[in-house]
Amino acid sequence: MKIRKGNKHNIGAVLFLTTASTSIFAHDPNFGIGPHVLFKNGIETALETQINQSAAQNTNIIGYQMTYGITGNWSAGATLPYSERKNDTQISTGMSDIKLFTKYRFWRLDSLGVQESAAIMFAANLNNGDSTTKPPLGNGANDLVTGLTYGYESIKWYRWSSIRYRYNGENNAGRRLGNKTLIDFVAGWRPVTPEYKKPDTVWLLELNTEITENNTINGNKVATSGGVESFITPGIFWTYRNFAIKSGLQLPVYRNLNNAQNKSNFRLKTTFEWHM
Amino acid sequence: MKKHIIFAVLSLWTSAALATGTQYSMRVDGLACPFCAYGIEKGFIKTEGVKSVDIDLKNGLVIVETEDGKTFSEDQLKKIINDTGFTMKSMTEKKR
Repeated sequence: MKIRKGNKHNIGAVLFLTTASTSIFAHDPNFGIGPHVLFKNGIETALETQINQSAAQNTNIIGYQMTYGITGNWSAGATLPYSERKNDTQISTGMSDIKLFTKYRFWRLDSLGVQESAAIMFAANLNNGDSTTKPPLGNGANDLVTGLTYGYESIKWYRWSSIRYRYNGENNAGRRLGNKTLIDFVAGWRPVTPEYKKPDTVWLLELNTEITENNTINGNKVATSGGVESFITPGIFWTYRNFAIKSGLQLPVYRNLNNAQNKSNFRLKTTFEWHM
Repeated sequence: MKKHIIFAVLSLWTSAALATGTQYSMRVDGLACPFCAYGIEKGFIKTEGVKSVDIDLKNGLVIVETEDGKTFSEDQLKKIINDTGFTMKSMTEKKR
């Protein structure tokens, strides 16, 4: 099935929504996820900015996130994103889809200066973002994300791996974005031994792969959608006491997309976090 | 008169001794970063009777000082540490 150029751009715009943050947590990677959760009754508040630049459109998002530690192993929260989306001739601004998320750390192995752990996460993207604007601010459907992650954290080295699956809902126009599998491998290195009450820096390198199924309209596959993209993401995590800044620049290194599609140039994410 | 003075001194000494706080030195596993360790400080500071908290990441030590007369059992300390996402391996205590 062929689609009109306008539709293609609209689908492309909301595609970015599917790659935007799937819940951020302290000391987790920038674009991947890790098993970190909050301490019991802890509150994490975060402000996240994300810039996505591609050949046909730019997207800027600022998101406010709040997370609560239900137990020492279980956290939940919500993200409220405000977006600006631009293509060659049009611009839209406003609230995009609100995200609700939870993460449960089901395994933890602690030793001196080392913590290994694994967690599962669930997230739901609500359909509050306006899908009628051009470009659209939401995809007009509720989407679900589930993921599994493992992390090794030590005084010197970090490593994480994770897999997430995103199931996208169908909107009122019969359009469904392709479901997506995200696979992440991340390494981290701390050059200076940390001391409590002193600033701490960790350098990160992520390999993020996204496998996307074809979009569908009324059940028919959209030929110019879906495929595989891999990114390399250098990043940094800087903390002082209960305040953190982390940032990562995602650059495409491999692409095998179905037919001609809008291609990402880069994605830049910066997050400011406070633990209370 | 002499008896009264001795009694007064003893009373003062005894009440002073009973009123001292306690220092708990805990070996905690899983401490890999200062940002994460903040949860331990937060967990103890909001606990009634805790005067100060210090953390030595390299040696995996958490040192807690209590206010005068306040004590914790080992199980109470383990629970506080566990609620912050870490594991208490051992603990020593001494009166200040």
